[in-house]
Amino acid sequence: MLFDKSENGEVLTLTLDKKLTAVTAGELEKDLIEKLAGVKSFTVDMSRLVYVSSAGLRVLLNAQKYMNKTNGSMIVKNAVPEVMKIFETTGFNEILNVKNS
Amino acid sequence: MKLKNNFALKLLAGVVFVMAALSVIVSIIGYYLFTRSIVHQYSNSAWNTARTAAIYVVPGLVVNPRYDVREWQARSNMVHREWQRLANTQNASLIYVFRAYGENYQDIEFFTNVAGPNFPSEVFPDGYKIQQKDQRYLHAFKKIYEEGQERVEIEVYRAPSPEFPSGNHITVMIPFKDNMTGEILAIIAVEREMEELDNVRHGYLRHVLATTAILLVFVIFLYGLYLKRNLIAPIRKIAGEALRFAYENKKPDIPLQSEIKTQDEVGQLALTIDTMESDILNYVENLTRVTKEKEQIKAELNVATQIQADMLPRKFPPFPERNEFEIYASMNPAKEVGGDFYDFFFIDPDHLALVIADVSGKGVPAALFMVISKTLIKNRAQMGGTPAEILHDVNNQLCEGNEADLFVTVWLGILEISTGHLISANAGHEYPALKRVGGKFEIVKAKHSPAVATMEGIKFKNAELDLGPGDLLYVYTDGVAEATNSQEELYGTDRMIEDLNKNLDADPEELLINMKREVDNFTGDAPQFDDITMLGIKISLHNS
Repeated sequence: MLFDKSENGEVLTLTLDKKLTAVTAGELEKDLIEKLAGVKSFTVDMSRLVYVSSAGLRVLLNAQKYMNKTNGSMIVKNAVPEVMKIFETTGFNEILNVKNS
Repeated sequence: MKLKNNFALKLLAGVVFVMAALSVIVSIIGYYLFTRSIVHQYSNSAWNTARTAAIYVVPGLVVNPRYDVREWQARSNMVHREWQRLANTQNASLIYVFRAYGENYQDIEFFTNVAGPNFPSEVFPDGYKIQQKDQRYLHAFKKIYEEGQERVEIEVYRAPSPEFPSGNHITVMIPFKDNMTGEILAIIAVEREMEELDNVRHGYLRHVLATTAILLVFVIFLYGLYLKRNLIAPIRKIAGEALRFAYENKKPDIPLQSEIKTQDEVGQLALTIDTMESDILNYVENLTRVTKEKEQIKAELNVATQIQADMLPRKFPPFPERNEFEIYASMNPAKEVGGDFYDFFFIDPDHLALVIADVSGKGVPAALFMVISKTLIKNRAQMGGTPAEILHDVNNQLCEGNEADLFVTVWLGILEISTGHLISANAGHEYPALKRVGGKFEIVKAKHSPAVATMEGIKFKNAELDLGPGDLLYVYTDGVAEATNSQEELYGTDRMIEDLNKNLDADPEELLINMKREVDNFTGDAPQFDDITMLGIKISLHNS
């Protein structure tokens, strides 16, 4: 995973890779709490992510809830078909702002 | 302690060796310089003798043929007399005058010579000629005749023998020149016995060796004492302490620090050993405590696993008095306690509720959330309503105070036994698979809602389906579809349908057991990283 925060700290881009499992989701959650502070626009790039577990979905949901609470925006983009299917199966495409180019 | 393993002896042996080597080197240098100095004294003495001898020599004496034999004889007799006196007083063994000529100066003609008092050999008669073969002499002649050197020395070191009665001796040669022309007419040579050389040199050697030996013993003794006091004794103490600690694993009665107080490496070593010992003891103590706690947690987790397992209906067949359907379900947690669950219960004698769910995450938090979810769903279902209504209420209840932000995907179905009519709601869960009688398994896609407990106020949607006799419905969690092998490949729904279709005639129990085996075969030795939960229900053929 790779974080890219803008200079004024309001725009954060997170690039995920490989798999978001229970283990990696735990690490991501820890980092995300710190990084999201003060962020107005949060983008998650999933072009290199092949799998999201339920634990990973939970972290994404928490991020979405946090952004809703702080009146920020969150976009999930470039999800590969396998990950998109997981979003559809779990109904997360209705909760997260999933944009596919 | 074995000698060769003794640390002190090794150190001492090294010092003795170095000191002995040093003494030998110093002795050799001293011996050489001392010899040079003695030889130099002999050389000077011989040189002075030669210069004095030269005073009596005149050109007429050293020519051949002699012009005036009578005068020559008179001069020769005088030279003989004076030289003999000189040889006697100056301790010269030979004084002679000669010329060298011919190729390489190897032809020698003696003009006059005398032997010293202690020189037993004969002297050559005047005018005697020999051939000199000794390169040292030829070399010396060349230096005088060609290089114009005024003083040439030849040192000979040997033990006296009957053939050569002179022992160590030195020969000093000076040229005799014509006063007018400067031409070298002859060479005057003085041979001097170095009779005292050996005695003096041996004496020197004996003194040096004796002094060195005494000094060596003294230094070794002092150094040994010093080593023992400052190095050996403390190190032995430290080694002993380390050995004691290795066997006893207990605190020392007296710490090393209080006995070894130096600031050097030995002191540091003592301090380090003390620190290490107390660290190890603390560590062992901590480890023991943590291990004990871990054992306790493990025991509690075992109980938790048991409690969780007991919460799921595990008695099959669960309703022996009902023959309208066959049902079987299984749950294999990835960790001790899992987040998956299944449930089935009668709402009323004609309505059977079927639940399969997966809480996000694993382990104890997921298990606790699972217990709440399962209880709420069952309680709410028994109050009546459609699956969508039930999930709506359960969702709102779970969202209250869901600080951990866990959520749960649920497939909830209510089967009307008498008609086979199934109403279901899917909250973010995997699609069920259905096999119609005589047909094959297929995925049944229906409208989806987000998982339960994600957000308050979610509206869930009902889907309807009619099951007939012989139809088999298979629901499962993502632990099945997303099982992964060691090559990181997903099991996937396609493979799942394929494996389901290998069991077209199986009853639910057989089907689930076979499917678990298929998943295990696929994952091989890769660790199971999600709970695997399945539920199968088949409408009996005689049910109409």
